[in-house]
Amino acid sequence: MNSNLRRWAPLFLGPTLVAFCIGFVYPFLHGVYLSFCRFITTGDATWVGFNNYIEALSDPSFVHSFWFTALFTAVSVIAVNALAFAVALALTGQVRGRNIFRTVFFSPNLIGGIVLGYIWQLIFNGILANFGTALVLEAKYGFWGLVILMCWQQVGYMMIIYIAGLQSVPKSLYEAARIDGASRWQLLRNVTVPMVMPSITVCTFLTLTGSFKLFDQNLALTGGAPGVVGEGGSMVYRTEMLALNIYNTFYGPGSARGVGQAKAVLFFILVAFIAFWQLRYTRKREVQL
Amino acid sequence: MKRKTIWLVLCILLITLFSGCSRKNDTGKVYYLNFKPEQDAAWQQLAQKYTEETGVEVEVLTAAEGQYEQTLTGEMDKSDAPTLFQVNGPVGLANWKDYCLDLSGSKVLGELTDDSFALREDDKVYGIAYAVETYGIIYNKTLLDKYFDSDFSTVKRVEDINNFDSFSSVVREIQSHKEELGVQGAFTSAGMDASSDWRFKNHLANLPIYYEYTERDITSADKIEGRFLDGYKNIWDLYINNSTVEPTALSSKTATDAATEFKTGKAVFYQNGTWEYGNIKEQNGVGLKDEELGILPIYIGAPGEEEQGLCTGSENYWCVNARASQADQQATLDFLYWVVSDEDGTEALAEDMGFVAPFKMALEAENPLVKIAAEYVSDGKTPVSWAFTTIPSDNWKNALGTALTQYAAGKGSWDDVERAFVEGWESEYAAAHK
Amino acid sequence: MSKKGFGLTVLFSLISVVYVWPIAVVLINSFKDKTAISDAPFALPNGESFAGLRNYIVGMTFGNYPFYKSVLYSLIITVLSVALILLCTSMCAWFLARVEAWWSRALYLLFVFSMIVPFQMVMYTLSKTADTLELNTPWTIPIIYLGFGAGLAVFMFTGFVKGMPRELEEAASIDGCGVLRTYFGVVVPILRPTMISVGILETMWIWNDYLLPYLVLDMGEYRTIPIHIQYLNGSYGQSDIGAIMALILLSILPIVIFYFAAQKHIIEGVMAGAVKG
Repeated sequence: MNSNLRRWAPLFLGPTLVAFCIGFVYPFLHGVYLSFCRFITTGDATWVGFNNYIEALSDPSFVHSFWFTALFTAVSVIAVNALAFAVALALTGQVRGRNIFRTVFFSPNLIGGIVLGYIWQLIFNGILANFGTALVLEAKYGFWGLVILMCWQQVGYMMIIYIAGLQSVPKSLYEAARIDGASRWQLLRNVTVPMVMPSITVCTFLTLTGSFKLFDQNLALTGGAPGVVGEGGSMVYRTEMLALNIYNTFYGPGSARGVGQAKAVLFFILVAFIAFWQLRYTRKREVQL
Repeated sequence: MKRKTIWLVLCILLITLFSGCSRKNDTGKVYYLNFKPEQDAAWQQLAQKYTEETGVEVEVLTAAEGQYEQTLTGEMDKSDAPTLFQVNGPVGLANWKDYCLDLSGSKVLGELTDDSFALREDDKVYGIAYAVETYGIIYNKTLLDKYFDSDFSTVKRVEDINNFDSFSSVVREIQSHKEELGVQGAFTSAGMDASSDWRFKNHLANLPIYYEYTERDITSADKIEGRFLDGYKNIWDLYINNSTVEPTALSSKTATDAATEFKTGKAVFYQNGTWEYGNIKEQNGVGLKDEELGILPIYIGAPGEEEQGLCTGSENYWCVNARASQADQQATLDFLYWVVSDEDGTEALAEDMGFVAPFKMALEAENPLVKIAAEYVSDGKTPVSWAFTTIPSDNWKNALGTALTQYAAGKGSWDDVERAFVEGWESEYAAAHK
Repeated sequence: MSKKGFGLTVLFSLISVVYVWPIAVVLINSFKDKTAISDAPFALPNGESFAGLRNYIVGMTFGNYPFYKSVLYSLIITVLSVALILLCTSMCAWFLARVEAWWSRALYLLFVFSMIVPFQMVMYTLSKTADTLELNTPWTIPIIYLGFGAGLAVFMFTGFVKGMPRELEEAASIDGCGVLRTYFGVVVPILRPTMISVGILETMWIWNDYLLPYLVLDMGEYRTIPIHIQYLNGSYGQSDIGAIMALILLSILPIVIFYFAAQKHIIEGVMAGAVKG
């Protein structure tokens, strides 16, 4: 079978591999190369070494967007997962019409980030107008706006994963624990959570990388506004997340394109590191039956 | 054997897939990346007409609002790059200079009525302005006359409004007697929504910049001192405290809101320009008749402003892609010449797009605001040039816009506005000239 | 049903209302005059602010680009890309799982690695590559989607195939089935549930994707729905928020229909996908 199959490599591997090279490998390598260049269009790139990286790291807007993204990610990962887990727990219990709720809670996932952003922009501005202010005026509105949007969109999806996890916990485990006199809290802490650890791994992974890479929602909801001149005189978009910052650096003034690409490489390293670290950390806590 | 055949077939398939679609074009074609979304339809029509007449292919793509730079960057790197694109003055040119063909000696340059409409640097012509526009404070003549005729008015003729003091007393008197005049405010809402905030963070900001440039006798600056920021504050305070809505409500007001207020006679004054005529003129019984429209200079309390006229200038320059093939460049230059000299072209510029085009054959626009602007010039008033084209970056404008909105909403101080104006300028200028 | 169960049901009903409310706001505003929207976004249309179908009519023809075209292109791109991804990556994954060699293992890791790479990393070079190879039309962009989306799909399929017993395939092979017949006759039917999960995940991604098609497609001719909506948002003070509301609603409609038609599969697909992850 094995050797027989090898002969068919061109057909089985070929198309995906060719497309993978076009759509990923080559652009990736080319991107790494360009991060060391100064260029306006790819045709006129000149090698500048690590200059772009130095500029990227000394750019206050990049640093700000990193902290903003980190804070947003921390808050939204906790909020989304806590809510999703709670809802999943409740929905696997005694609730009438759980399928309807499941359907409703999941539905925002199907709407694209750009559209979601515009919907919530209208809603937040409608609410804030009563207080004589607007979403783009203060960074805290934009921040919490993004968190609410993220919860609204993601809770349903994560809930489904948690439900799947909860349903796979054998009933006998609960019964055994109950016979041992475990309280409801102990059941949750010592039986449910360890048993759904694989789901927790997946959900934290998805929300973590999803929040970190968020772009469409950020672009449509606030576009990074408000842009404020800080004490040092430099201009920072207060609700600009990393992906948007990179995009704006890239497609902004001509000389910064290489810097944008350098930021993208740093961004990639960061995402890779976080994803790797998170998977290792939560995987260790999974129990094998 | 079998394996080799499959590899071969696959390779051939791929090669044909990727190479089969490449095309050749010797006659040259035009690809115009247009900046102004509101003129998209008119350009498409004009392009079609040109193709019908000459057989030369003209493609027009309009970038989404606020996405011009992004779109240009993306498109310039493509194999079919735009042959004709736009820069918004010296700041935009800095990015794209290497891609701009020297237009010296071209036929379209020869059509310019005044050399000042060419964007020059190092003895080369990189861009050609194609639309001259004017802005100020548009007013509703009927309502203003009603004020002049009232017993509470201290100013009785429009000629007597010639500086900030006289203008502000008119505004305050209108605002405090708004019920008697049947309006909701002296000014339309100074909306700071993204569709409207350019009127203040960009166009209104021109005045303090212009006066500082004039006083310092310069045309651009790496640092701005903010010598006339008090004037900026004067006029901004006047706008936000004497409008149809509370200052706190301005943040989400849109350009459409302001235009509607003006059209329906809810406000007397409306800061905007000649391009706005199409939106405020009478249509289906709503809007203002031509003879009801007037336009005043924007006064900020600067010395000698009695002789000040309207703000006139251009921020849209055509550039021809220097990296395009020679045939495409020629086709583009021919197209431009046709646009500014042929009957169809000039008609489209003047009527469909409503431009005052600075070309010899340009038709006169059917726009009463343009006519008033011309009268100011013939009366010997000094036009205010568009110094805002030297603003270092969009970031600067956005930070200023935020500071203005926060100030209006009572959530920020004027110091923040000054900081955005002065410090922001310096850092953004430095960032753009690294 | 216990008292607690009843309380939860009521609570969830309330939350459901909150969940649907944003969409309701869009629906309401799509029937309102554009100037009435920013004044009172949550008010129902009244005699003065009711705009009838005006927003829909304006929205369909707005911006010099007919809306139906963007729906059509979104549909073409999504269907073609998902079909291509399912076919190619499942074959690729089966191959990688069944052929044991250092390079198949390395390739698999490369695919997994690509999953975490943010799009910004390749956005510029990818659009350049796509343009050079003329992959900038709805008919060819699926190749880009196959390339950039391969990671997740290969990962999920490989995970599933590794858990599949080899016996069936070996039996088919002994019966004289060729590789192709084994794959399409034996493997594909077993892979069906995974195909549905992968298909759903990829559909949700591609249908809603904004940046990739925005940077890659030849925009004068082809726009997807998200690009179209982004285009409508304001053009020098002419932002017609009423029309945008109408279009947002219209753009959600197909996905809602799809959702209710395939709801069971979608939720099961997500569940299955998660367990594999």
